[in-house]
Formats: sequence, C-alpha cells, structure tokens
Amino acid sequence: MAMNDAVDLTPGEERLSRIDEGFFKIESFFNIIAGIVIFLVMFLGVIQVVGRTVFNRPVPSYVDVIEIMMGVFCFLGIAYCQKLGGHVRMEIILKRFKGRTFYGFEIFGTLVAMAIIGILMYYGYTHFLRAFQLGDSTIDGDFILWPSKLLVPFAFSLLMIRLILNLVGFLRLFANPSGVPIAIPVIETVDDQAQHEIHLSGADQEPDDDTIVPQGSAE
Amino acid sequence: MDELTVGIIGTVLLLCMVFVGVRVYAAAAITGLLGVVAIIGWDAGAGIVGTIPHSKAVNYALSVLPMFILIGFIAYHAGLTHALFNAAKAWFGWVPGGLAVATVFATAGFAAVSGASTATAAVFSRVAIPHMLEQGYSKQLSAGVVAAGGTLASLIPPSAILVIYAIIVEQSVGALILAGFLPGVVSAIIYAILIIGQCMIDPSQGKPVKSPPILVRLKTLPPVTPIVLVVGIIFYSMYSGKATPTEAGALGAFVVFVIAMFRGMKLGNLQEALLETAKLTVMIFALIWGILIFVRFLGFAGLPQAFAEWIVTLPFPPVVIMIMILLGYAVLGMFMDAIGMLLLTLPVVYPAVIALGYDAVWFGIIVVKMCEVCLITPPVGLNCYVVHSVRPDIPLGQVFRGIAPFFGADVATVALFIAFPEIITWLPSLLGAGAN
Repeated sequence: MAMNDAVDLTPGEERLSRIDEGFFKIESFFNIIAGIVIFLVMFLGVIQVVGRTVFNRPVPSYVDVIEIMMGVFCFLGIAYCQKLGGHVRMEIILKRFKGRTFYGFEIFGTLVAMAIIGILMYYGYTHFLRAFQLGDSTIDGDFILWPSKLLVPFAFSLLMIRLILNLVGFLRLFANPSGVPIAIPVIETVDDQAQHEIHLSGADQEPDDDTIVPQGSAE
Repeated sequence: MDELTVGIIGTVLLLCMVFVGVRVYAAAAITGLLGVVAIIGWDAGAGIVGTIPHSKAVNYALSVLPMFILIGFIAYHAGLTHALFNAAKAWFGWVPGGLAVATVFATAGFAAVSGASTATAAVFSRVAIPHMLEQGYSKQLSAGVVAAGGTLASLIPPSAILVIYAIIVEQSVGALILAGFLPGVVSAIIYAILIIGQCMIDPSQGKPVKSPPILVRLKTLPPVTPIVLVVGIIFYSMYSGKATPTEAGALGAFVVFVIAMFRGMKLGNLQEALLETAKLTVMIFALIWGILIFVRFLGFAGLPQAFAEWIVTLPFPPVVIMIMILLGYAVLGMFMDAIGMLLLTLPVVYPAVIALGYDAVWFGIIVVKMCEVCLITPPVGLNCYVVHSVRPDIPLGQVFRGIAPFFGADVATVALFIAFPEIITWLPSLLGAGAN
C-alpha cells in the first residue's frame, strides 16, 4: 500500500509493512496464474468449437478438462481479492463508525472469516485426503481429482495468512486508532470505487486516435 | 427448538453480521455451518459443509462466468466505444436531443461486449459527454444520459449477473441470456423516447445534429461489426444449441481479444485485464459457495418452503406482493452491491415468487433491472459518482438531477414488464430454450 510512503515508521511497523507487501507479491503471483488459466479456458473453448464443428474432432474430455482448470480460478485468487478489499460486503453502516468502534467491527469481521476459513481448511483437506486415498477421478476423462481438491485447502491457507495479517493490522489500529494503517485490506470509498472503474475502463488514459469523427458529420 | 426456529435465528444472525460489515461469503458460510451443525450434529454437518466449496464451485455450468467477465475487461481496449458513438451519432443525430439519443444506443451496443454498468458509464463519460457539451447540450442531460445508459449493460447479453441468477435458481443459463435482450432494447428505446420528449419541450436541452450523407453514414458501420459478431455468436449458440454458454463466451472473448490486439492492446493492459478478471471471478465464486453453504442449512431448516407457504396465504393479490418485494430490493440495493444482494436474498425470495405463480425467467430480468436502477439512485448511485469523477466540472448534484427523469423512465419500464411479461418471456419461449 502506498499510503505509508511519506510517514516515518517504527522498526516494528516497517517489518509489518514489508511482510504485508511481500505476501502481496505471492498473492499476486497466484492470482495471475488464475487469470492465465481463465485465458487458457478461452482458447480451449475456441479449439473445442472449431474442432467439433469444422473438423468433427472435439477436444477429448473437454468438460473434465475445464472442471480441472476451474479449481485454479475458483480459489487461487481468494487471498489477493481479500487484500484488495474485493469481497462483497455492506459498508454503509460500518462507515458511520470511527476510530476504535470501526476497528472493533473490522476485528470481528476478520475473526468470523478466520473461523469459517479455518474449519473449511480442515474439512477441505479431509475432502482432498479421501479423493487421494480412494483414487477418485473424473467420469469421462478419468483424470485424478485430488490435485484439484488440494487447491481448496491450499488457497484457504493463503487466505488465512492474509486474514492473520489483517487481524494484526486491525489490532494495532484498535490499540492506537490514529496510527498508520498497515496490513489492512484496501477500504474503498465510493469515490475510490469510481476512480477504480474509470481506470479499468481506460477512461483515464489519453484519448486515442479514433476520437476523430468521420468527415461530413455536423461538427 | 424446532428446525424452522433454528432457520429463522440463523437468518437473523446472518443479517446482523452483514449489517456490521462482515464479508458476505464469510457471514453466509459460517451461519450455514452453525445451522447445519445445530440440526444434524458436528461430524455429519461439518463434513457436508467442508465438501461444498469444491463440489459446488467446480461445475462446468459456472465456467461461463469468467468468459463473460473477460470479454468485458478486454473490450475496453478494442476501441469499440468511439466507433459505436460515431455510428449512433451518424444514424440518430438528427432527432431532437440527437447526441443524447446516440449515447443511449451506443451504450446499449457497448453493453453487448461489457456486462459492467459502472465501467460503461465511465468510458462513455469520456467518449460522449465532450461532444454533447460542445454542441451546447445541458450538463444535466449529458451526465444523466451517460449514467443511465451504463445500466443497460447487465440486461443486454452477455451478462454475468443473469448467469449468476440462472445458476442460483437452477434455471437454463441460455434462457436467461436470451430473455435479457428484448427488455434491454426496450429500456434503451424508452430512454430515447424520454430524451426526445424532453428536448421537444425544451429545445435548449439538446439540439439535433445534421446527419452526414448516406455514404458517410454507411462507412460508420464496418467498425462496429465486432459487436454484431459477439451478439451473433452468443445468440446463435443459445438458439441452435450448437455451443454451450462457456464455448460461446470463449468465442466472444476471443473475437474481442483479436480486435484488441489489432488495436494495439499492450501486454500490460492484458495482464491487468487478467488480474481483474481473476479477482472478480474468485469474488463471485466465494459468494457462490458461501451462499450455497447457507442454502444447504436453509434446506435442512425448511425455511424457504415455509416462507413460500406463508406468502401465498397473505390476503393480497400476487401483484401487490410482487411490488412489495421489488420495493424491498430497491431499498436493499441502495446499500449493497447487486451480486451480493441477489445471492443473499434469492434463496428465500425465489421459492416464494414461484409459489405466487410468477415465471422464473421473468423474475430474473425484473430483479436484475431493479439492481440496475439502484446504480443511479442516491445515496450510493455508483454510476453518478463515476460520471462526476470523470467530469469533475459537472457537480454531483447536477448528475443526480440529470438522472431523475431516467429513474422515472425505469419505474415505467418495470411497470411495463409487469403488465406485459411477454416482452421478457417471448424470446426464450420462441427459441425453445424453455422459460418454464
């Protein structure tokens, strides 16, 4: 996060900030893998349609292959999304609170997420273990299923680390509400959200050459 | 304590958590877990819940979502917005308020490659507002039409939010995608009629622009063919059943990707589009498995059936109950993101709506239209903030004043859909995609 750029940090804060940003690199890595797999799903879909309709040769076990790939983009980016404050929530009441009350609710929300993710990590792992021990596989292509199921506890472990970082960040601010915000998810105001959408749509970039209107129009 | 009571306590607990800002996926999942455990015990309950994220998320039918999302994020780099606006201006500029009408049709066209309302509003704030202001259009109308035009994105296919609805209520994805088309077009036409009427009464709002000769007009068409191609691919696939929604989405994304490459999309842009696609995808999937854990609990508690049975005994005609439900969505939508709101409410509301005798596909379109209306109403009205942020010279209050007539038009549109449900159900029934 860039918000602590100009501020003097204590050695402890600096360490926390460095861990936060270092872990964000790991999260970004897994999220871009998820993005690349989505990109590959696109190519596979094109190959499937062309293969089936033009050459009468569909991709073997296409549905199974897609479902194996889904394990990646359904879960791997979950910690990245948490870091950027991307998971949906209702903020209108929360934002009425300031200081310690605000951070108190944030701590509560983080603890709830940690509780459920902790339980799902364990039971997701046993779900994987059963598939691993029984040699569970997909129906059509007979692909082994355990690697896909292992992605769930793995991605949830990443999320758990992110949540622990968030908890530390919020506890710090709960103790000292005027401190520098470090290691907490991005909290976007409506304005920030608007800016984000504008950036993604390219509306903040220089107009490109096709702004030129065709000749003969009324301008 | 009977199961129904556990169900009601669980629902109240979930709402409390959501109100104090717990992320919806976590609040839904933990309530679902606690509820299932309360009814069938820890070992069986937690065991079932632990399998849900993988078994429910990894489902081929859901793989269409990232494809539609990807189309949207790449489309911004395909240079389609200016082409659309130029074409719409050349063909519709001559009517009263011509540039504003052109903006409506251009945003409707862009909606065919983007399912994102706010981003559509952002990009047309840059493309259309300067032209309108240059021609002496009022700031209010210029800003209002862009903010309103953005909302067309989630009805006109491809629309990720309609896919999510289809999956949660277990209806045909193809039927919902087809069903969104006509209501999207009707919404656009109603906006256009509104603008023309406004500008006939008060010509100073926006004057017509001269149409170029027919040859020049025809020349504006080739650059917009990619849009026609994407719509064509998706429609033909749904109609003929020759490709699944995922395959159609993949083809659409590929077409847009190739055009974006030709238009000089940089590697950095692609990387950013993929990062954002993955982030939005995982957000939606987390919501889906979180809510489905909660739905499992609701099923054990028998709450949706009980609610549906109760609602049909109410001494009001169904249409009154429907209007009350829609008003509920309008209020909730002021405080919450559309996808979260839909997922949170549908498990309980949907069975009740069906028990009242309404059509599943029809309700999907209506409820998504309601979500869109919330994007232009205060206090959040994200589209209005977006327009104001791109054009800080137009005060937020003026944007909201500009949007007011369009809000009225949307209310009229929803009333029209209630009075004539065929506008929604005709296309899917015709194509045999089955609106049953």
